Amino acid sequence: MAYQLYRNTTLGNSLQESLDELIQGSLNTYRFCDNVWTFVLNDVEFREVTELIKVDKVKIVACDGKNTGSNTTE
Amino acid sequence: MASAPWPERVPRLLAPRLPSYPPPPPTVGLPSMEQEEAYLELYLDQCAAQDGLAPPRSPLFSPVVPYDMYILNASNPDTAFNSNPEVKETSGDFSSVDLSFLPDEVTQENKDQPVISKHETEENSESQSPQSRLPSPSEQDVGLGLNSSSLSNSHSQLHPGDTDSVQPSPEKPNSDSLSLASITPMTPMTPISECCGIVPQLQNIVSTVNLACKLDLKKIALHAKNAEYNPKRFAAVIMRIREPRTTALIFSSGKMVCTGAKSEEQSRLAARKYARVVQKLGFPARFLDFKIQNMVGSCDVRFPIRLEGLVLTHQQFSSYEPELFPGLIYRMVKPRIVLLIFVSGKVVLTGAKERSEIYEAFENIYPILKGFKKA
Repeated sequence: MAYQLYRNTTLGNSLQESLDELIQGSLNTYRFCDNVWTFVLNDVEFREVTELIKVDKVKIVACDGKNTGSNTTE
Repeated sequence: MASAPWPERVPRLLAPRLPSYPPPPPTVGLPSMEQEEAYLELYLDQCAAQDGLAPPRSPLFSPVVPYDMYILNASNPDTAFNSNPEVKETSGDFSSVDLSFLPDEVTQENKDQPVISKHETEENSESQSPQSRLPSPSEQDVGLGLNSSSLSNSHSQLHPGDTDSVQPSPEKPNSDSLSLASITPMTPMTPISECCGIVPQLQNIVSTVNLACKLDLKKIALHAKNAEYNPKRFAAVIMRIREPRTTALIFSSGKMVCTGAKSEEQSRLAARKYARVVQKLGFPARFLDFKIQNMVGSCDVRFPIRLEGLVLTHQQFSSYEPELFPGLIYRMVKPRIVLLIFVSGKVVLTGAKERSEIYEAFENIYPILKGFKKA
């Protein structure tokens, strides 16, 4: 029942959501390789109850938290 | 030109409707079909009068009628008749204006366009129809697309080893520019779609290109920005760029799919940008066989539609299962476009290889949809 209309999206696995984030938000780059996500964000605010930390650039390296990956996020 | 079947068919359709045949008006450039053309013109006049439509020449291609005659000029007439024998007998729904049996040249306003070659005729008729109809100031995109596509086509010809998919296309923009010059003086009658002024907007273009070198996907994923590579899930790198906002699937064979662009030029430009990224990573990337594989457009007719009625009368082309999907899926034969028609009046058109097919399909469907307007 796969209509040709949707083959563009399923075949391409191409959601534009990442790019929407790029345009609107502060996501500079993203990468996914070897089950590791790497994000670089600009102008980020880390907000805790007591504290507020502003940062120009932050790099997030994240691995899978399920059975396949057991590493921690830095 | 198999003229024998023509006189059989034309009178059968025309006889019950037309009272008399005035002498055929002079026609130029269509040698063996002048008589039939005259009859068809008369039929058009009759139908237009019945429908109370302003333009006498209404190029409506409802696919309910045999389309093998329509293909007549696009391909070898003999094979057209041989290959589509089953479409001869149709439901004969002449309550709506069914003109798909009419050849391209007659139903278009380009009566003075000689049948130079079948290929060129097909391209001309297909490409000229949207240009003659679209109001030029409001459709700059088309003009830009055509102009820049002619440029890009000439650029692509510099690449050695381009396949046939590229070579015929330069012919098209040239013929477009010529036909634009020849058409503009001779459009006294505005086609119906210009009355509503609705032009489908392109939403997505899918294209492919061959970079012609083996690629190390892991290296690309590690060094390129905005790339994803999960070989367990999908054996390609998914890369995105912001301008034009597109997504590319890059395979280790060197082939690439580019999706998400809103115009043909943008798709080509985006593909070139991806190729440059790959090139900068150290691979000897080239840009071979760029081809647009699919184009998606959408528009709004601005009135609700009785989908049930539409599926009843056009059941050969429609499938409507509201429990499965709320839209009616209309598979138009000429051009070969799939339309998703919704109760709200929104229409999605897909399956086109060229922009003109989208426009032509919408022009074909619009009068049908008007016939099924709700309340």
